[in-house]
Amino acid sequence: MKSKRSPVGFVILLASAVVCVWPIWHFATIALRERVEIIAPDPIYWPDFTIQPWQKIWDEWPMVQYFTNSMAAVAGSVFICLLLGIPAAYSLARYRYKGRDDIGHYILSTKMMAPAVVAIPLFVLFAQFRMLDTIWALMMVYAALNLSIVVWIIRSYMIDIPHEIEDAARTDGASDLRILWEIIIPMCLPGIITAAVIAAVFSMNEYFLTLIIGRKEAFTMSIALGNFKGGSDGIIYNAIALVGFMAFFPILLLVILIQNHLSRGLTMGAVKG
Amino acid sequence: MTAAAINLSVPRRRRRVVSRKVLPYLMVMPAVIYLLSITLYPGIYALYRSFYTGKFKLEWAGLDNYRELFVDTQFWNSILNTLLLGSITLLAEFVIAMTLAALVYRDPWVKGFRILFLLPMLFMPSAVAFIWKLMFNDGRIISDLLKRVGLIDYNIDWMFTAPMARFVVIFTDVWQWTPFLFIIFVAALQGQDKEVEEAARLDGASWWSTFINISLPMMRPIIAIALILRGIDILNMFTPIQIITQGAPGGATETVGFFIQRLAFDKVDHGYASAVSVLVLIVTVILAQVLVRRYFRSGTES
Repeated sequence: MKSKRSPVGFVILLASAVVCVWPIWHFATIALRERVEIIAPDPIYWPDFTIQPWQKIWDEWPMVQYFTNSMAAVAGSVFICLLLGIPAAYSLARYRYKGRDDIGHYILSTKMMAPAVVAIPLFVLFAQFRMLDTIWALMMVYAALNLSIVVWIIRSYMIDIPHEIEDAARTDGASDLRILWEIIIPMCLPGIITAAVIAAVFSMNEYFLTLIIGRKEAFTMSIALGNFKGGSDGIIYNAIALVGFMAFFPILLLVILIQNHLSRGLTMGAVKG
Repeated sequence: MTAAAINLSVPRRRRRVVSRKVLPYLMVMPAVIYLLSITLYPGIYALYRSFYTGKFKLEWAGLDNYRELFVDTQFWNSILNTLLLGSITLLAEFVIAMTLAALVYRDPWVKGFRILFLLPMLFMPSAVAFIWKLMFNDGRIISDLLKRVGLIDYNIDWMFTAPMARFVVIFTDVWQWTPFLFIIFVAALQGQDKEVEEAARLDGASWWSTFINISLPMMRPIIAIALILRGIDILNMFTPIQIITQGAPGGATETVGFFIQRLAFDKVDHGYASAVSVLVLIVTVILAQVLVRRYFRSGTES
């Protein structure tokens, strides 16, 4: 069906696109200008584009460390999520046993846990184990925050795999774990990648608990933004914009990779789109 | 010979049966134990801690923290703010996302629009908070744009009155997270049976009544799930508040999450903050039980 575009609707869409994109564009120009041009009496929309300030930003702050901290914490947390999540998803998707649905619902309900509630206990716990301000603590927290969605996304993809293939392998004497490793995982790889990307994006963006764990050494890009203040200069927005885009581009690439699975991932399998 | 074979095979088969019964538990348990350690343990710790006061030396306080809490106007203020900001934000995001999704899902450029509308969601929330802090406050860009189109003739101090500070926080969340709902709604609309819609249209139903009477009801379960997921995040909203308003002016944008954080890490009153946590925890556990069981199916069939 080719429906004709209503002109009013199309104008609304274009206007919304501008509202989405223009602030990002403006933020990009912030990254590309001198500090004096950021907070001018009259806003400057078209600055003298320069990457000169980056040198100073790079010298003053451990930018590489922010980046590698984020990447390491995200990668580690995704690894933990998959390691624990894939077997759990398989168990929930393929076996019938007592308590299965309760376990599945319990796993999902941890998604509703308010970070503010766990903040103090986790702070005390990590302090006791001398793990405050470490990437390990961040990894464990990110993994815990995303494990529920990882399990549910992968489970939804596993359910769609026809039983016949496994039954055939089982008749041939393959063990359950071998079936999981050699048949199920390759067949639901899109689901696993989707789950991994969504977990990575959420981990990269985590702010509240990162702020409580990170002191100095474990600063990630997400919380490093609050760091860019300098005496009379106030908030150093070009550094903030620079780091914002450093985190944005890897995420954009990952999400474009899974864009056709995104809605399914975000609803944990409820939308097959 | 045959007797020995039978003797051997019987325990072996039984072991396989047993392991097939235990295996699913073995596979799901590591995840469950991991999650219990970050939900059950903090819950118990918060409960324990809420009966004590003191910063370093703990003193038994019984229900004092709770008693204090129930007459603490700041606490009730933060609850009201959470509900007020949360409901307006969720409603705004829902209406905008649904409107855009309905406009776009049959458009030939749907893929392009989808990517453009997705972009705000891919920025770190802390970066987004700084974008709008710059736009509204420090860079005075919104004021400048409004002056240019002639709506105002002096710069607005967005943090001066409660409604405007709330508007900035809501706007920031709506800008970043409407795409979340939009992506889901577009997929849901695209996944619908086109023939039903076409049949309705051939019968003379208008676009609007087809959408309201056919498309929307078919999407109900997905709308519920999307709103639950977004609603949880909105109730936990913290980043824009911490970066843009710090709860100002006069606590008008202080949510429960920010209130707990302020008590625990600025005032270092872990006992009192834990009491708030316990109350929040009780509400979330009840909500989670009701919502998860009702809207998320857990069977082996999709």
